[in-house]
Amino acid sequence: MFTIFSANHKRLLPLIVAAFAASATLPAGTAFAEPKQGGSLTSFSTGYRTLNPGVQSGAATGAPGSQIFAGLVTVEKDYEIAPYLAKSWSVSDDQLTVTFDLVEDARFHDGVAITGEDVKFSLETVKANHPFGRSMFGSVESIDVPEPHKVVLNLSQPVPGLMLSLQPLLMPIMPKHIYDDGQDMKKHPRNMEDVVGSGPFKVEENIPAERLTLVRNEDFFIADRPYLDRIAYPIVKDPLTRVLMLEKGEIAYAPFSGIRPNDAKRLENVDGVNMTTDGYDAIGYIHYLELNLRDKPFSDRNVREALAHAIDTDFLSKVIFGGRTVPGTGPLHTGNLFYSADTPHYDADLDKAASMLDEAGYPKGENGERFSFTLDIPSWAPQAHVPMAEYIQAQMAKLDIKVELRRAPDFGTWVKRISSWDYEATMNGSFNYPDPVIGMHRHFDCDNIKNVIWSNTQGYCDPEMDKMLDAAAIETDFEARKKIYADIQAKAQQDLAMIYMPQDFSATVYQDGIGNLPDSPFGGLAPLTNVYLED
Amino acid sequence: MVKSAPVVKSVLRKIASILLLLLAVLVLNSVLIYAAPGDPVEALVGEMGGATPELIAELRATYGLDRPLWQQIGVYLGNVVQGDLGHSLYYDQPVTTLIASRIGPTLLLITTALFSAIIVGTILGVFSAQRRNSTLSHFVTVLSLAGFSAPVFWIGIMLILLLSVSFPIFPISGMTSSDGTTSTLGYAMDVAHHLVLPALTLGLIYLAFYSRLARTSMIEVLEADYIRTARAKGLSRRSVVYKHALRNAILPIVTFAGLQFGQVISGAVLVETVFAWPGLGTLAFDSILRRDTPTLLGILFFSSLMVVVMNLLTDLLYRRIDPRIKTS
Repeated sequence: MFTIFSANHKRLLPLIVAAFAASATLPAGTAFAEPKQGGSLTSFSTGYRTLNPGVQSGAATGAPGSQIFAGLVTVEKDYEIAPYLAKSWSVSDDQLTVTFDLVEDARFHDGVAITGEDVKFSLETVKANHPFGRSMFGSVESIDVPEPHKVVLNLSQPVPGLMLSLQPLLMPIMPKHIYDDGQDMKKHPRNMEDVVGSGPFKVEENIPAERLTLVRNEDFFIADRPYLDRIAYPIVKDPLTRVLMLEKGEIAYAPFSGIRPNDAKRLENVDGVNMTTDGYDAIGYIHYLELNLRDKPFSDRNVREALAHAIDTDFLSKVIFGGRTVPGTGPLHTGNLFYSADTPHYDADLDKAASMLDEAGYPKGENGERFSFTLDIPSWAPQAHVPMAEYIQAQMAKLDIKVELRRAPDFGTWVKRISSWDYEATMNGSFNYPDPVIGMHRHFDCDNIKNVIWSNTQGYCDPEMDKMLDAAAIETDFEARKKIYADIQAKAQQDLAMIYMPQDFSATVYQDGIGNLPDSPFGGLAPLTNVYLED
Repeated sequence: MVKSAPVVKSVLRKIASILLLLLAVLVLNSVLIYAAPGDPVEALVGEMGGATPELIAELRATYGLDRPLWQQIGVYLGNVVQGDLGHSLYYDQPVTTLIASRIGPTLLLITTALFSAIIVGTILGVFSAQRRNSTLSHFVTVLSLAGFSAPVFWIGIMLILLLSVSFPIFPISGMTSSDGTTSTLGYAMDVAHHLVLPALTLGLIYLAFYSRLARTSMIEVLEADYIRTARAKGLSRRSVVYKHALRNAILPIVTFAGLQFGQVISGAVLVETVFAWPGLGTLAFDSILRRDTPTLLGILFFSSLMVVVMNLLTDLLYRRIDPRIKTS
């Protein structure tokens, strides 16, 4: 009557068993040396306003947050779901009831035992306060706690991506006895002061201007873990300073290092420093050219196709990003579970682009231009967006389209322009995060055309697309769901709702001698429970 | 006693004009910043990774941003007059607490940088003024040109490359090491070790400035009639230079030191960012990017307060150094 539940349950059962074994006896990973206890690891942070990932998304909160807080499950290599605070779970045949059995001797850092009430409280908190709360848990109608260590979620419709959302990064288990005092969760003082979770590390020192230091949780519910004694996160905002610290080894482990392809080359030549682009599949950081579809000329699909033919993303990724990224082929990152490469492709062909523009009614005018537009460049990823925008400007000039680049002086200015739809075109990017319902639907859903950043700000609306999105949101059979998403990606690319740029160059830089770096598709946003330092 | 009465009176008059000036600064700052496009909630929501329109409206209401502009400014000014600088939108802390927690590192950095620059700069200037065509004099000229024209963040990065990467003598960034030393002496040594590069970077600009100022002012003074008289009296060279010339030449230095001590926060913004120094400069920088209006206004108010207070102190110091001012 019950089956194990997951997004891809067909291949999950053996993996769950393996994960059980792994978490009980062996550390996951490929290192050969025997892991040993002890040592201090220095990472870094760009600064954070809260340490509670339950009320804030993003890497700055998520990286330390996943160490301080535990979740019901973890997401391991190849998206396998492994038990964490939930030792097992089962799903009813109609996929509408999910029952979790919790680990019995788990305690928060202040010694209070964790019960189903904390889980219920946490899920309700995330649903109400996290930016993705509604897309993750909108279908959770009620939560029962029949026994102290048993939690039952009652769903109004199946939620195929549910398990992925139950990891500490997206649904940290928060102590009800601390937070349930009627204060606004987003501004709760305990998100920054004396933060109490149940994860592998505890907060020792939190000086927001200077440093966050975490120390080993001696009473962690997984025996003999974690291996590290402490993790330090000095605050380093300046990217150049960060590169030099990485080079010198003052930072030993830097997920989301923010380095540019040029820095990568420099760092690769340093002895003892390594770099990997693994660990970003789930976050799925993609870049795109967003055109305001409400007005001419971009309301005309043929104009958009002409632009797509003029922008050679292959050239961009190979030459401008040194071959360290791959061109985007649609709204999903190549590392996403539902990625499909089978989408319309627009060959680089300036002549074709020119004749398409002629036909669309945009011939070269008396001033030598077809038309002109302003391209906004946001402030938050200049290393990616500035070269992209400059390349687009040069390519458009070849088509006699004049592009004026407008660099946002700060984040708020850009957000204001885009979210009030007061723009013609902008460089943009977003996260898949990792279920498409969270990170992708928001850009295409007709209901999500809102004055909110990273919603459907370009104003794309298509009834057929809406229907497919709705179907994919509740399809629990993995292969069937994959098929729907393949169609969605093809349609997005056919309609050119956005013009996809090369994916982000996201890299983790780390020193020699660190064992068991997380091989989760969430990389550095996963718990560092098994990480150890070699001699 | 009799003599101090006009001093007290003039100081009181000064304080009154200072208060007026501060009020003007406050009004101007708040109007400018509140009128700038974009609002903090947009920035906040962006950093959170997006939000629903309901949440955005709720946040606006919480921070009073849904009220008309003139009301927001009015409420702010009213609070400041009562000594309340408001609440940081980002950190959710009183702005005064926030500034208090960051002022220590900044004061440490700027006093170290400024005082070493003044002392070393004056010495260099005085020496080079006496031997105008010597190597030292040319060196001072080149140094001051370079130090004055090179961007401060560039100097910072170059110093890091030289003294942290190529010759790893000093740490690249931060104010303390993460290994948690417990003894007070160990802590002080650790901070001092981290302080060298940022203070050197910030100090170099001012060193350039003061060596140049001391040189010019000294040259001018050395040509004055009373120096010739002093020499003619047969006083020793040492006595002429240090007793007669330097005491006069130092006046412009004191003036500028006083003025600059207040303004040095602006230089600290860049240096603190490059070296991840946890002071007011980084806070100001972040507040601009985050549109954290109350914090930014608080810092601006605080720096203008510093400027006027330093001016007042300079004024008083002047009376000590230059007896002519007392009588005039």
